Amino acid sequence: MDWTHFFMSWIDPQLLMLVALGTFAGIYVGAIPGLSVTMAVSILISFTFSWEMFDALSLMIGIYMGGVYGGSRTAILLNIPGAPSAIATALDGYPLAKKGLAGEAIGLSTTMSALGGLVGIVVLGIGAPAVSEFALRFQPRDYLLLAILGILLVGSLSGESLVKGIFAGALGLTIGCVGLDPLTAQERFTFGQIELWGGISFIAVMIGLFGVSEALMQLQHVDTAAVKQVIRRIVPEWRSVVKYLPLSLQSSAIGVIIGALPGTGGDIAALMAYDQAKRVTKNPETPFGEGAKEGLIAPEAANNAAVGGAFVPMLTLGIPGDAVTAIIIGAMFIHGLNPGPMLMIERPEMFWFILGALVLATFFMLVFGLTGIRLFVKIVELPRAVLFPLILLLSIVGAFAVNNSIIDVYFMLGFGVLGYFMKMYGYQVGPVILGVILSRLIDDNWRRAIISEQESLPRLFHGIFTSPLSAVLMIAVILVFVSNTPLWAWGKRRLSRGRS
Amino acid sequence: MKIKLFGAVAALLVAAAPVMAEYPEKDIQGVIQWGAGGSTDTVMRAVTPHAEPMLGAKVVMQNMTGGVGAIATKFVGAQEADGYTLLMGAENPQLYKVMGLGDSDYADFTPINVIARGVPLIVANNDAPFNTFKEMVEYVQAHPNEVKFGSTGPGGLPSVVTAMLTSEVELPVTFVPYDGDGPALTALQGGAIDVMPAVLGAAIEGVKAGRMKVIALVDSAENPALPGIAPITVDYPGYEKFLPWGPFFGIFVKNGTPDEAVSKLVGAYAEAVKNPDFVALIEGRGFSMLNLSGDEARAFLDKWQSVTSWLVYDAGIAKASPEEFGIPRP
Repeated sequence: MDWTHFFMSWIDPQLLMLVALGTFAGIYVGAIPGLSVTMAVSILISFTFSWEMFDALSLMIGIYMGGVYGGSRTAILLNIPGAPSAIATALDGYPLAKKGLAGEAIGLSTTMSALGGLVGIVVLGIGAPAVSEFALRFQPRDYLLLAILGILLVGSLSGESLVKGIFAGALGLTIGCVGLDPLTAQERFTFGQIELWGGISFIAVMIGLFGVSEALMQLQHVDTAAVKQVIRRIVPEWRSVVKYLPLSLQSSAIGVIIGALPGTGGDIAALMAYDQAKRVTKNPETPFGEGAKEGLIAPEAANNAAVGGAFVPMLTLGIPGDAVTAIIIGAMFIHGLNPGPMLMIERPEMFWFILGALVLATFFMLVFGLTGIRLFVKIVELPRAVLFPLILLLSIVGAFAVNNSIIDVYFMLGFGVLGYFMKMYGYQVGPVILGVILSRLIDDNWRRAIISEQESLPRLFHGIFTSPLSAVLMIAVILVFVSNTPLWAWGKRRLSRGRS
Repeated sequence: MKIKLFGAVAALLVAAAPVMAEYPEKDIQGVIQWGAGGSTDTVMRAVTPHAEPMLGAKVVMQNMTGGVGAIATKFVGAQEADGYTLLMGAENPQLYKVMGLGDSDYADFTPINVIARGVPLIVANNDAPFNTFKEMVEYVQAHPNEVKFGSTGPGGLPSVVTAMLTSEVELPVTFVPYDGDGPALTALQGGAIDVMPAVLGAAIEGVKAGRMKVIALVDSAENPALPGIAPITVDYPGYEKFLPWGPFFGIFVKNGTPDEAVSKLVGAYAEAVKNPDFVALIEGRGFSMLNLSGDEARAFLDKWQSVTSWLVYDAGIAKASPEEFGIPRP
């Protein structure tokens, strides 16, 4: 019986311990900026080389699930997203911590991460073949439309001034272009420096713009006392879980689909879910960007749902859904498996084992996530004169760890100073990060799409409007665009006046 | 006097100690040119644990990606030639000079082991209106620029294979660039491109599952992983002069590394590559085992560079002539 492997990791004490250990380690790897799950899992490949395959996979799956969640910790407490998928979490999570509600924010993000993780696993378990066939149907033009949809998020990330938001987004797109053009190996914005061939490390930009700039901002108030954290409850009330259930399910659905697409991952999923939450939440208790719980729930549910999503094309077709599943594929090769379309037919027990281990990792994530919060929250209560040098140190170590490169540290510090001045003059840093994340997606897929149509724009539009998938995405792009313009507000006013 | 002499001898011994200590006396660093999870990464992480016991040291591997491998190559080239930094790479540096990506190639490095070679093949989407190489050529010529070929940028395997093909037949197709053969083969299955020249190992699972079809095996002999598929040279003997050809994986140290260290590394990796688990991995992924070192490896590298440089130059995708760098025409 193949499905009995679902429970294999639950019953076998050694596997159980390894999943638990992996999840625990993953939370910390995820929480430390610069240490990524991708890095941890690739180191594990050589480390677990001589192990049994199930042991190695248990550890990797635990790290993956825990790591995606762990990124939210530092995002909430210090405004440094531990991983790219926690960028959207910082937008409303950190304001909550500044209000003294860090404990509640962590509790809520943990619960919703677990919920999102489970939704992803259920979709993987039930609909994997269908979802992966759907994901394969995405053509370059569909990725392009998706990326344009993503770049329109600038509208909801730019704060008070849309113009400043667009400027910041464009800056991000430009930063993302630096380096050897991945499609033609042409140098772009490298000024003859070989160090720039690989581009500017996205993690360095992220740590600088979020962490260092915040530390510099706070130095202005270095002598004010830290906000006292009130810890009323950590496990969210049942009532509020039910209240936010529709939103978290919706966000999870976004997470699974974006996660299952081979070209996109949890970072984009979380940002899109954040935007969607902002759109559907009519009257948030607190405005978005100032500590709205909806703005915390949506990205957290989405990024953990993306984990299940990333396994969908991997287990059904041998196509990685993101960087981590790409490495797990490599690990499976080393252990004598051939991940590909035949895996489900030849070794169905692998599918059930991974499913079971994912559920177990989600459970451990909930347990480890909800314990020790009181201790964690103490971090933000440290005197500022102690806390901010620590943040700076953490940022430097994190930026160095990405590629063991001192250049990344310089970039990180440079972007920290840039972020400081941006914040001083009312520019949000969110759109810059958004631009960097989406720059490759837009750039590559625009060229692929137009080259595929023999460089003819009419043919490209013909293609978009004759494919149902592209047409739906195009309509979504138009709707989101119009809803960000004054025309929309005007139309809405007219409509409501007409009714009354 | 005696004491003085003794002291001098002792001092000499201490001074000589670093030279006499046996290599390796500390961990060795392995720099992988390509990203985690890719085929170079998988091969290096699979073979190295078998070499460690024979070396008597740990090899700590690290991925240093970017610039089609140039960043890792430059990094290792800048380290001391002491045998403690290994370059774990693929074929790409052999084209840097003609592609204008730098002035370094494997001539600046001593091969420890050229491990294996990939076998190129041409696969197509199942719905493509042709089943053999001959039919494809006819269809492409009848419908110029309509067939979409996946590519991975100038100098990548698809560009070289296409250059090889167009040296004999005319192929007016549209090239759609992808980051690597993985994403391009995904796009092939979704119908975004029609044809992809790829390495056998990357496509084999998809072919076995019937998700894509083989149009041609670009090799001079049949392959055990694809029984019944005739090599391209049967119908087009003109390709024989380029074949066998394929991307390869190898481990290198900087020129000038002490012989003692080189021979220790060569010995350890030559044994490691023969490990049955590793052989099974290499063959399962459709690579041909080479296990070359010393002069054999150098001859292989030189021939590869000569064939490939002139192919890309004649196809018009190179930035500089191989002649400028003294690379002879094959």
